[in-house]
Amino acid sequence: MASSLFFYFLAVVTTVGAIAVVAFPSPLYSVLALILTFLGLAGLYLSLHAQFVAIVQVIIYASAIMMLFLFVVMLINLGREEQKELRLPGQKMLGAIAGLALFSVLLKIFLSTSLMTGKKGSFPPERVSELGNTQIIGNLLLTDYVLPFQAMGVLLFVGIVGAVVLASRRSR
Amino acid sequence: MAPLEHYLILSAVLFSLGVVGVVVRRNAIVVILCIELMMNGANLAFVAYGHFLDSMAGQMIVFFVMAVAAAEAAIGLAIVVLIYRNRESTDLDEINLLKL
Repeated sequence: MASSLFFYFLAVVTTVGAIAVVAFPSPLYSVLALILTFLGLAGLYLSLHAQFVAIVQVIIYASAIMMLFLFVVMLINLGREEQKELRLPGQKMLGAIAGLALFSVLLKIFLSTSLMTGKKGSFPPERVSELGNTQIIGNLLLTDYVLPFQAMGVLLFVGIVGAVVLASRRSR
Repeated sequence: MAPLEHYLILSAVLFSLGVVGVVVRRNAIVVILCIELMMNGANLAFVAYGHFLDSMAGQMIVFFVMAVAAAEAAIGLAIVVLIYRNRESTDLDEINLLKL
């Protein structure tokens, strides 16, 4: 019961944050609202017994990536979005309708078909709590998932080089 | 413990809100923020399925998605800074050189 209440509280926090990201006219407030959403998601990961992912969510997403966004927003000093005419008339209405349509499609997929018929994995909660969530992830990263892990390293390296090359280019 | 369906509904809500943001907002930074929101909706579905199916694969994929999101945010923000330097604006409606 208590963990169920925890879920609904965090679900409300996350949803409110997500709505605020879309609705706030100022990008600065959008970034701050997204931090709220990410902290709520970290709590949800904790309720799913994914402790490592929850901590990584707080440290990398809510702190590092969001700080990068805050840095850029403050660097280029964006004000509110100007209330000028949208290029497409009724764009906000159309966007909301498209979002609702997508939501109903996702809902139908998630609720109508029985997606829980898959084979059970080899990590039931007792085994995870015995070995430790972080230790299992560390072992898997260097055994079953070593190729994606290496590819991730290359990707992050390319990301660093690309960002530096793009952002440090002198304007002529 | 809340059932799997509730986690999936929340993830669908987050993803749809991200899509609405991408369509409705015109500020390039907010559009990148909304893409992050969509990724997190997908992450929540991965972790929820992984938990209810006794699998670690969901958490591993989330770990890799986070790395991709970090690289994407860095490159995307570098492009935004570059565009701002050239055009003094990050309004996506004004960035239309390649449009017919």
